[in-house]
Amino acid sequence: MVSTQKGQVRVITGNAAAAYGAMLCRPDVATSYPITPMSEVAEQLSTFRAEGLVDTEMVEVEGENSAMNVVAAATLAGGRAFTATSSWGLVFMYDAVQHASGFRAPVVMAIANRETPGILAVSGGQQDIISTRDTGWIQIIVEDCQEILDSVIMAFRLAEDYDIQLPVMVNYDGFYLSYMAMPVEVPEREDVDRFLAPLKQQPERTKLVPGKPLGCGTHGIEVGFVELRYKHCMAMQRALEKVDEIDRSFGEFFGRSYGGQIEEYRTDDADIILVTSGGATGTARVVVDAKREQGIKVGLVKLRLFRPFPRQRLSEVLKGRKAIGVIDRSVGFGWNCGPMFMEIRALTPEIGIIPMLSYIDGLANLDITILHIERVVDEVYAASQGKPYQEVTWIPLEE
Amino acid sequence: MVEKTKKSRVFDYFQEKEEVYAGGVAWCAGCPLELTLRFVPKVLGKDIVIVGCPCCSAPVLYGQNLGTWHRLSYYSTLMTGVASSATGLARYYKKIGQDATIVCYTGDGCAADVGFQPLSGAAERNEKIIYICYDNEGYMNTGVQRSSTTPIHAATTTTPIGKESRGKPTVPKNLPVIMAMHESAYVATATLSHLEDFAKKLLKAKEKKNEGFVYLHVFCPCPVGWRIASDSSIQVCRMAVRTNYFPLWEAEYGKFRLTHETPNPRPVQELTGLIGKFAHLKEDQIEDLQRMVDERYALIKKLCEDNK
Amino acid sequence: MVIKHKFLMKTEGAWSDADELLLCLDTGSWRTERPVADREKCNYCGLCALYCPPQCMKDMGDYFVPNLDFCKGCGVCAKECPRNAITMVPEGEFTDG
Repeated sequence: MVSTQKGQVRVITGNAAAAYGAMLCRPDVATSYPITPMSEVAEQLSTFRAEGLVDTEMVEVEGENSAMNVVAAATLAGGRAFTATSSWGLVFMYDAVQHASGFRAPVVMAIANRETPGILAVSGGQQDIISTRDTGWIQIIVEDCQEILDSVIMAFRLAEDYDIQLPVMVNYDGFYLSYMAMPVEVPEREDVDRFLAPLKQQPERTKLVPGKPLGCGTHGIEVGFVELRYKHCMAMQRALEKVDEIDRSFGEFFGRSYGGQIEEYRTDDADIILVTSGGATGTARVVVDAKREQGIKVGLVKLRLFRPFPRQRLSEVLKGRKAIGVIDRSVGFGWNCGPMFMEIRALTPEIGIIPMLSYIDGLANLDITILHIERVVDEVYAASQGKPYQEVTWIPLEE
Repeated sequence: MVEKTKKSRVFDYFQEKEEVYAGGVAWCAGCPLELTLRFVPKVLGKDIVIVGCPCCSAPVLYGQNLGTWHRLSYYSTLMTGVASSATGLARYYKKIGQDATIVCYTGDGCAADVGFQPLSGAAERNEKIIYICYDNEGYMNTGVQRSSTTPIHAATTTTPIGKESRGKPTVPKNLPVIMAMHESAYVATATLSHLEDFAKKLLKAKEKKNEGFVYLHVFCPCPVGWRIASDSSIQVCRMAVRTNYFPLWEAEYGKFRLTHETPNPRPVQELTGLIGKFAHLKEDQIEDLQRMVDERYALIKKLCEDNK
Repeated sequence: MVIKHKFLMKTEGAWSDADELLLCLDTGSWRTERPVADREKCNYCGLCALYCPPQCMKDMGDYFVPNLDFCKGCGVCAKECPRNAITMVPEGEFTDG
């Protein structure tokens, strides 16, 4: 165990935690554009800058699209950069988000998840994660404010790793976590410097230098294009192991770790498994404990890394069970089930053909309650006993 | 045998005499864009960082896999991301104390249309970059479609002449004046027929970018899209200045000054007569154009007077 | 999967490198006519060299001559020469093109 000082415990919101995490890593450039529910991230970063706690170049851009382009360019010139946004802003920067990952710009972005446009909503949901899952970014989904701060620090360590060089999204529930104040241990900056120090020992990544005849963003012609796509996909695969490694290392430094790609809760002897992500996981843990008291052998898997998809670790933990229930906080257009459910269902060859139940809940700030999850456990349990079950349930519509 | 005179003064402005581009690159024969892009590093030096996007300059500025057509540092991005990417570079280099001259280079389609928001944002924030817009009055690289700087009544592939269409129905955005209204450190217009004026403005741009945002609007005819002979592009530039269609001025922090006086401006027909995209013009359309030219020039004059 | 392709780029991302590979097109093969200068009329003002879009005019000390490897035959030099010292002559009249 590496000795670090105990950080100061502050009661701060999720947004503030994201800003603290970024500030501790000393980004060179950060951009901000206000959008509910993450405007506070921008405000907090600007406050840190104004008080001299960081010397980050803060750019108050005129739109999220520019926010992403500014930070991507800054990282490709060799710097460290951070930005934050939410649903509508994220889809506005969609072209720049693809540009950043294709160029292998190691940007870290905090996203307070909110429903995407199409239906006007100023409320929480994970649709923005789903709508950007094919942009080639690493996507992490966290459960509470402490994990937000810790994951932002880990995200810099991951994104800038020479073997990875990919941008990372740290997703947290908008409205639930973004605005909720929880006690968060804020590490000391010197300890964060030491945690990130291994990056300085690695080879320097390619960067734009005035006067050097390097061009960033060459045309990918025919097989050259294929080569670049392949390298990108392979980097994503390497990120799987790297996420676990960095999480273990963080645990050694700061005494907190989150399981890496997934977190398994009481899964060892579980007959049925629930899969959740984000803040709902906390509620699910309470239900799992209660159901265990009643003798139901239920376990919980928290899907923490969504992209790259933790195929192997999920297959290992879901194999040999009698039924699985997946709670999605989003919809999967075209497949008539939750999107995370659909991806887990694709693991059937590895885990066997067993009842798998999809639950769509928690859209538009409707709570995923203890009662909802109890119902899920009961239905998944009944399915595991051979009783007929409904494959897809939209919980808010059945109330 | 004619007596040898001294070589043109313009040569004295070159900081860098060597070509940074390969000898043979894929720009159309006679294209003023090629002249501009080869001219800029000769005056500004070869250590500039060029930020570009898909447009006519892209096939040469962008590399092809590992290879490239020039020796400049460049950053290629989307049309929506030029001014913002340049901001990111400028801010980072400033933070690490690295001297850098960042030159955005886009066409009017990017500057006036799809990339206008980031351009305006960067100008308002006074980012220390140089933004050069070459105005060929349309989206030429994709096949001569109209943009918001295409002049009224011009024929393009999306405003073709037909029974129900007489060319573009609306007046163009007066982009250089819009940019000057941001009160940036330095905004100027330039063209390829007046190379000394252009060189002076480039050198001033290099100096002024240390204070804030610099915008240069270069009138750059497209021989293919405007249907002019490949040898006539410079002549068209010259006539544009002579008719006041494209006045040459500069503005520091919103204070205007004409850099080239036209005591006897030629009628706009002498310009439109040279250009194929205006070949269909009827009298009323020529009057519209003349009125637009006169009113816009009067505006510039007034802005210059208010500055005295 | 066995990868037979020899990777073209050394970087993870899409970077070009002029030190590794500087490309060049044979644009001299484009032209259908070439500029011919009358040295008697030329006064070495250099405007042909300044206005030449591919900048292929070579300074020979007291006159200019186009680099025929890259001259595209656009004719700007002939049009702009203040002394009309340059004529555009069809390629067919030369055997060295």
